[in-house]
Amino acid sequence: MPLIHLWTALPFAKLEVGHHFYWHIGNLRVHGQVFITTWFVMAILIAAAFAASRRIERVPSGIQNLMEYALEFIRDLTKSQMGEHEYRAWVPFVGTLFLFIFVCNWSGALVPWKLIELPEGELAAPTNDINTTVALALLVSLAYFYAGLRKRGLKYFTKYIEPTPVLLPIAILEDFTKPLSLSFRLFGNILADELVVGVLVLLVPLFVPLPVMALGLFTSAIQALVFATLAATYIGEAMEGHGGEHEEAHS
Amino acid sequence: MFDFDATLPLMAVQFLILTLILNALLYKPLGQALDNRDEYIRTNLQQAKERLQQATELAQQYEQELASTRRQAQALIEEARAEAQKIATAEIAEAQQAVQAELLKIQAEIDQEKQATLQALEGQVASLSEQLLAKLLA
Repeated sequence: MPLIHLWTALPFAKLEVGHHFYWHIGNLRVHGQVFITTWFVMAILIAAAFAASRRIERVPSGIQNLMEYALEFIRDLTKSQMGEHEYRAWVPFVGTLFLFIFVCNWSGALVPWKLIELPEGELAAPTNDINTTVALALLVSLAYFYAGLRKRGLKYFTKYIEPTPVLLPIAILEDFTKPLSLSFRLFGNILADELVVGVLVLLVPLFVPLPVMALGLFTSAIQALVFATLAATYIGEAMEGHGGEHEEAHS
Repeated sequence: MFDFDATLPLMAVQFLILTLILNALLYKPLGQALDNRDEYIRTNLQQAKERLQQATELAQQYEQELASTRRQAQALIEEARAEAQKIATAEIAEAQQAVQAELLKIQAEIDQEKQATLQALEGQVASLSEQLLAKLLA
């Protein structure tokens, strides 16, 4: 028993779920720990982007090569979901989704946030806070509505009664399940991953959590990819509509 | 765990700002660079293809010229050979004709001499036969 007390006394192995480091802005409450890690992630991304585009060369090397690889990956992803004609305008949005979630997830797994003491709550991946994932999912919803309305005008709403009005309730339901599943999938995966690692570290602090941590890295990357791919799919679907099949047939 | 508050809209705004910053810093310049490189490679490839085609065309042209020159040479040789043949034939025919003419002339001379001799002998026949007769009668 004293051994366990010893481990729980260490700063690495303490679980705090539901505790938040609250900041008060006016009469609004925000989760400070989420913002701190988010700014860290944004700083990493902006620094990488700046370093990559500072001196652009025809034959890329170093960070430019890495970011070009990432950009090409995002472009391929977007192109495969939206088609050749439409994808370019959406690369920034989908790309930022992917990069932001990816770096958030990995920062939660790789950066030893526990070493920084907060008065309350703990620093972790911003994506394990439901606010972040819901914000991103709602942005995706707005994006696909915007894309559909912009591309097809009011005809966009015919997708609710095409091919048959019988499916109208399900079509409307879809608009709610899409952001719900997007946000909860990401939130649940990342939170669960961090909890599993936390619990395992609590029980067996040496070596045993390592495979789970590696699995967590893998899951984190997959979740970022899934989120970005689904966002691209939803946007592409909204732009395509049911009249889009002809276009696809002869392209 | 599920407490929603002002974090949500602020995160959304932050994310949009990040999108704008990354668009200016990453997607635009690097996308431009990627497109430029694609363009560069495509034009270079195009030029290389054109050059290859030109080279192939030149090689073909030379080949054709070579073939036609060879054919001309062949024709020239053939012509010269035919001419030589003709000349030789003509000369042989001429020589044969000359020989023939000589032969005829000699034949005619011989005939003439024969005639003359025969005539002369015929003239002598009377006197000789008279002499023979006289000798026999005597």
